[in-house]
Amino acid sequence: MLRGVLAAGATVALPLPRLAGMLDGNGLAYADGQKLPVRFGTWFFGNGIIPSRWNPKNVGVGADWALSEALAPLLAVKPWLSVISGMQNKVPGLYAHKSYPAGALTGAQAMAAGDVQLPSIDQLIAKLNPATAFPSGLHAGLCNTTGAGALDLCCSFNGPNQPNPPDYSPTSLFSKLTQFSTNTRATDPSLLRRKRILDAVNEDAKALRTRLGAEDKSRLDRHLTGVDELQQRLVSLAAPHVCGDVTDPKVAYPDRGDDGVITKARNQAFAELLVFAMSCDVTRVFTYLFSSAACHGSYADAGLDNVTFHEDYGHRKSPRGSEMATEGFQQGVTYTMARLAELLERMKNTPDVTGTLLDNSAIYITSCVADSINHGNTDFPLLLAGKAGGAFKGDVHVRGNDDSVSRVPFTVLKALGGTATSFGLDEGRVETGVPELLKA
Amino acid sequence: MVRFGLVIAALTLFGCEGSIALPAPVIAHPGPGIEPLQQPVARLHLLTTAQFTNSLHDLLGADVVVSEVEPDVDQDGFASVAASQLAISPAGVEAYEKAIGGATEVAFATDAKIVALFGCSPISVSDLGCLRKALTTLGRRAYRRPLTEAEVQRFLSVVTDIGTESSDAREGLRYAIWAMLESPSFLYRTELGEPDPTGRLKYTSAEMASRLAATLWATGPDVLLLDAADKDELSTAAGVRAQATRMLADARARAAFAGWVDDLYNTEHLASTIKDTTLYPSWNSSLRDAMHEELILRVDDLVFSRRGDFLSLYDARTTFVNDQLAAHYGLVSPSATGFREVSLPDATGRRGLLGGGALLSSNALPQRTSPTQRGRFVAEIMLCKSVPPPPPQVITNIETSADAGVTLRSQLELHRQNPACSGCHTLMDPIGLGLERFDSVAVARESDHGHPIDASGVLDGAAFQSAAELATRVREHPNAGPCFVKKLYTAAQGRSVLEADTEALNTLSASFAANGRRADQALIDLVSSDAFRYVEPQAR
Repeated sequence: MLRGVLAAGATVALPLPRLAGMLDGNGLAYADGQKLPVRFGTWFFGNGIIPSRWNPKNVGVGADWALSEALAPLLAVKPWLSVISGMQNKVPGLYAHKSYPAGALTGAQAMAAGDVQLPSIDQLIAKLNPATAFPSGLHAGLCNTTGAGALDLCCSFNGPNQPNPPDYSPTSLFSKLTQFSTNTRATDPSLLRRKRILDAVNEDAKALRTRLGAEDKSRLDRHLTGVDELQQRLVSLAAPHVCGDVTDPKVAYPDRGDDGVITKARNQAFAELLVFAMSCDVTRVFTYLFSSAACHGSYADAGLDNVTFHEDYGHRKSPRGSEMATEGFQQGVTYTMARLAELLERMKNTPDVTGTLLDNSAIYITSCVADSINHGNTDFPLLLAGKAGGAFKGDVHVRGNDDSVSRVPFTVLKALGGTATSFGLDEGRVETGVPELLKA
Repeated sequence: MVRFGLVIAALTLFGCEGSIALPAPVIAHPGPGIEPLQQPVARLHLLTTAQFTNSLHDLLGADVVVSEVEPDVDQDGFASVAASQLAISPAGVEAYEKAIGGATEVAFATDAKIVALFGCSPISVSDLGCLRKALTTLGRRAYRRPLTEAEVQRFLSVVTDIGTESSDAREGLRYAIWAMLESPSFLYRTELGEPDPTGRLKYTSAEMASRLAATLWATGPDVLLLDAADKDELSTAAGVRAQATRMLADARARAAFAGWVDDLYNTEHLASTIKDTTLYPSWNSSLRDAMHEELILRVDDLVFSRRGDFLSLYDARTTFVNDQLAAHYGLVSPSATGFREVSLPDATGRRGLLGGGALLSSNALPQRTSPTQRGRFVAEIMLCKSVPPPPPQVITNIETSADAGVTLRSQLELHRQNPACSGCHTLMDPIGLGLERFDSVAVARESDHGHPIDASGVLDGAAFQSAAELATRVREHPNAGPCFVKKLYTAAQGRSVLEADTEALNTLSASFAANGRRADQALIDLVSSDAFRYVEPQAR
């Protein structure tokens, strides 16, 4: 019989807004002893930067350093910002727009097809705290045009051959999240039925699994992880929801542009949805592909020509000349940081159980190359935003001496409770983080 | 800044020699502890989005609406290769659940629809006659083999649970079908083979039915194919040839081949191609769609109506245009509704597929042409040459100049004087320069920056003076036929070509040449070959 099935064995945390009244006397944990989770996000943008216009001039903390030209849009969140310059992507650049992003996200070389060898940092962190409605995280993307290869449209990988492609549709993401907004409806009987048939799917798959070789078993297991997560989500959906309302992009941003196109309105729609998801504890991990590795999309919304940002500006191939292209590229990078600021400022303005959502988050921001014009790997763009629940100092600029890029994601992994003693593989492998980023 | 030391090392590493890569099994970093594949192995093939959608329409009715699922990924040029390699993400699993749930909702909307699907509508959860018939009939087509009794019982228990809870056996059946179609046994083609006296694995007749339907129709097997499998008629090459011949006469083969053409020529890229409309005001979505339609019509007409030499498309003197495309190409053609076949005049040198808007426009930049991109397309897609990506730390914008009076040819010649660039650009630029008399949106032109365009060049020792002659040189190139066969083979097998495929490819290429280079015959030879009927086991 179906009745009552959902309640049995449910281990998922129910989506709830964070309230201070839920805490213990010290304000460091929930009253039931559970540690306060820190939210994590990867915010990825393609085509790199111009290092001389990205790096702040001075290193230090607080008033010691000032934002660079490219980072100027992040002024309102400077106290939550960590800039790590002078770092080198140690993974050999065999396939420029594949190797370096793989290095920055996984610490290891890419495979020829654009796939990865190791899980990306978001998936390592997702496994630290999977008890949400979306245990593997939410994965969204703004621009769906790449020149590098289809897998380069992903910045989240559970491992080799296991990408998490982004959802480019705010309305699609809204349809997933609105189920968790406050409502008074009676329990939908279809939830029970959908969970029941997934039991049958699992049983069917078990019989198939015995016939498979190792690689296919791994693929099937990943598929069944998705089935398990869906069942977990159905459990969450069957519970009362008190998360308030989530903004409908169709209503708030009717002129946002087509899915896959770069516009301010689409970026704002996604920022609102992701903030809702994290604030409501629907997920604790997200990735956002602002633009893909080697993004060939148009930055017309940034006031640039309706051409490919990668070729005409990133590689300065515009027939209007390299000087114009260089300034246009810089304009595009600054525009990109302004879009990042929209997310971070919303997080800063969203109360959390203690402080704000930005206080209790760690957002890792990086790109596919360093200097765009030559697929550079030194002075790699690396930012962290948020205080990670008090782990990060914030308002700091640290400059390395061609140290490995991998040290930054490794710092985050450790700060968020990871017990791994290293991050990455071969040339990208590190065993130390960046201690200067951490609060004493 | 160009760092020459690094560049020379990188060029050595990349082996930029320009020889045809038949086969090219190089997987530089397959993964920690994973050896590069040497032998083709049996594996699960996730349905491509086309196969998934077509299958749901076959199973539940043409009127069901199938919502979006995780999009196909291109590996080695084909969605089928990625579908045999990648795992579905958790979000992808949820998308399947939604798509299948929505489709079953439409299919079960009325009692009449249920009867139309199954020949009966269950009156209660005890109506085992109807329920078993419904589950086994649809299950046989969905799983591409008869269901086992354990599977039937599994889905009957779903009917019982949900039919009882909802007091509606039809609702129970709907959810059981939903479960069946969410199962990996439907979503993945399970083609694992069985031990054979040869020492290899041989695909069973049921698995061959699945492989034929996926390859030739982009869907699941029909009843005739499953009946042939039940009689074990697909265990012989002759049996496979007979079914393949039947299938290629069906409209589904035309649609599936068009899908292969879309993969091969990357028309998805055409769909996202950006042009600066201040420079090219004629560029719009309807023109882009017309270019795509032109490409598909040319291939379809040649392969399925004329049943002619596929490579003749490379320098064909006719094409299909509508009014908009005729005007865009500057063709004098009587106005008519829709597309019609027209002759291409000699004056512009517009010939064959390379003279079509789809390939010219999608391999160009928004504000100008790109001989490099066009040349790379010919080298990689039509001649199967391996062109490496640019080495790291190299500035790649040397071909750009805002100076009026400098042709792109002269800029690229300067580019190739740089030893860091010449190794690979020599493989691409001289070919692409042959297409310079067509601008970024495929309009014919005579000059570049006020200078007459020189469209001459050499393709592997064969000189050409124009795009028309280049097209013929490509058709005549010794790689052209084997490359076409290799592309068909890659897509059909759902994997990259390996060293072990060399003999099979040589045999198929020889028969392709001997049989008038017909694509339909090449497909029949391919699917009935041992390479398509046998496989090696996957490591356990």
